[in-house]
Amino acid sequence: MPISCSGLSIAYGPRLALSAFDLTLGKGEIRVLIGPNGSGKSTALHALAGLITPSGGEVSVGGRAVASFSRRDLAKRLSFLPQQPAAPDEMTVEQLVRQGRFAHVGLFRSYSARDVEAVRWALDSTGLTGLAERNLRELSGGERQRAWISAALAQEAEILLLDEPTSFLDIGHQVEVLDLVCRLSRERGVTIVMAIHDLNQAMSVCDRISLLDKGERVFDGVPADLAASGLIERIFNVRGRFVSIADTRAPHFDVELARH
Amino acid sequence: MTGLTVAARRPLDRPIWIILPLALILIVLAVFLGVADLSPAMVLDVLTGHGSENARLIITDIRIPRIATGILAGIHFAVAGLLLQTITRNPLADPSIMGISQGATLAVTIFLFFAVYWFDSDPHKVYQLPVAWLPTVGLFGGLAAGGVIFLLAWRRDLGPLRITLCGIAVGAVLHALAMGLIAGWGSARIEIVLQWLSGSLYARSWEHVLFLLPFTIAGLLVLPFLRRSIDLLRFEAPVALSFGFPYRAQFTLVLMIACGLAASAVGVTGPIIFIGLIVPHLARFIAGSRFNLVLPLTLLLGAVIVTAGDLIGRLAGGAEEIPIGVVSAIGGAPILLALLRRIR
Repeated sequence: MPISCSGLSIAYGPRLALSAFDLTLGKGEIRVLIGPNGSGKSTALHALAGLITPSGGEVSVGGRAVASFSRRDLAKRLSFLPQQPAAPDEMTVEQLVRQGRFAHVGLFRSYSARDVEAVRWALDSTGLTGLAERNLRELSGGERQRAWISAALAQEAEILLLDEPTSFLDIGHQVEVLDLVCRLSRERGVTIVMAIHDLNQAMSVCDRISLLDKGERVFDGVPADLAASGLIERIFNVRGRFVSIADTRAPHFDVELARH
Repeated sequence: MTGLTVAARRPLDRPIWIILPLALILIVLAVFLGVADLSPAMVLDVLTGHGSENARLIITDIRIPRIATGILAGIHFAVAGLLLQTITRNPLADPSIMGISQGATLAVTIFLFFAVYWFDSDPHKVYQLPVAWLPTVGLFGGLAAGGVIFLLAWRRDLGPLRITLCGIAVGAVLHALAMGLIAGWGSARIEIVLQWLSGSLYARSWEHVLFLLPFTIAGLLVLPFLRRSIDLLRFEAPVALSFGFPYRAQFTLVLMIACGLAASAVGVTGPIIFIGLIVPHLARFIAGSRFNLVLPLTLLLGAVIVTAGDLIGRLAGGAEEIPIGVVSAIGGAPILLALLRRIR
């Protein structure tokens, strides 16, 4: 059990952003969090990353309370990419990706061949080797997002938390990120929790899916069961239906627009 | 066309090692030139251990300690500015914007205010005032202001914008209090405060060098170990924490070092405006993407610019020299504007 949480509650002032949230992941599992804006997906990810102290409940990583880890030890096992992080000025892609090795090198140790190799692999996996020397400011939104994912990969953690990693990418780059996530899970056994907005992408990439609404988990299970539950139409306040595409694939949600 | 714009925006490899000999030449010039008309031969005589008593006094007791104080203070202000800009992720951060200078100012004014009752009740006796205490008093004032700002930010969350705003607010209050005190004073004390406020290297002696040196040495010994911290503090806290970086502890450490460097320098010279603001920008501009050079360049340029500014102030003003704080502000503003145009 790489990462789990139980009864997790987080309050921002009087408002509960997350209430009694449970999540358990197996090794190499891809879990997708979906839910309307403000439903607590991002809060849940921040709490799993140990960045918010919960008012109730606990997160454990490898069976150990997340609060008992030093930041550096936690970062060796868990890597978190927030939504739309801001990059410092005057930083190249490679310099950014090298920061991902901090958990391994610390404040003083110099980069070993092992670290250089991890950076090279991270750049290669995200297709950024040719852009390594480029300033982050010169990149397109998609390239910059891949650079951040690359930095998270360089960390070589067994748990990867991604907050909307595909937002602001064109469809080609979205698919690239999702394929990378699948590859990491299948080939390296990386356990992944991510929030994404595109329902169909969420359904097709995940092993299990969790639906949040107003800070509460209203569904947790495999995509086919979510499709059968009728929750999507109710929670997102849309009309549509699930269409089966192929026996081996998750069903597809077809939205009904008012103009039809 | 796109290829052209990309090429134009890539940082050029600006020649950096030229700066070192230029700095040495400048320091030599600063020793040889001055208001007191000594011929180069007389200066050389002094430097080789001969020369008249008068010339020796001017060179070894006045000019050289003054230059040394300027170099150290320049390093302090510039490095403090770089550290503050890094941790607040605010390109405008600088000791005088973050309230450290104002804390020192208020401490100095309060000290002079009460000093009258402790030492002498006649406010017009300039030379009775305990000027020798000003560096220590200024240092503690600056540190106290840094501490207040830190506590205010600490009680909430250490957001960079909040800590900058705290700095500005605390600085404004401290400055207003200091001005309020000064408003009711006799002229002799006002003269001292004004002289101190303008940021001056006038009559700075070996004692001032010795006062600064421990801070400089401590700072320079710690800085090499902060290189990775300085890189990571440029990220937002959640990102840096996710990389495994102990953000709070390092933020606190770097803020303390910046406060120590800035407050000690403010104590000795008074607030020299703009050095802490401009030098880091200049260093970044010259370093381009080689950002491991930013720190050494900041150090070097801090020393160079204060020395050059003070030399200009000494030569341009004649007997009534222009304080370095005034030269740096007048010369610094156009440099900053030019840099901003080039950077974006």
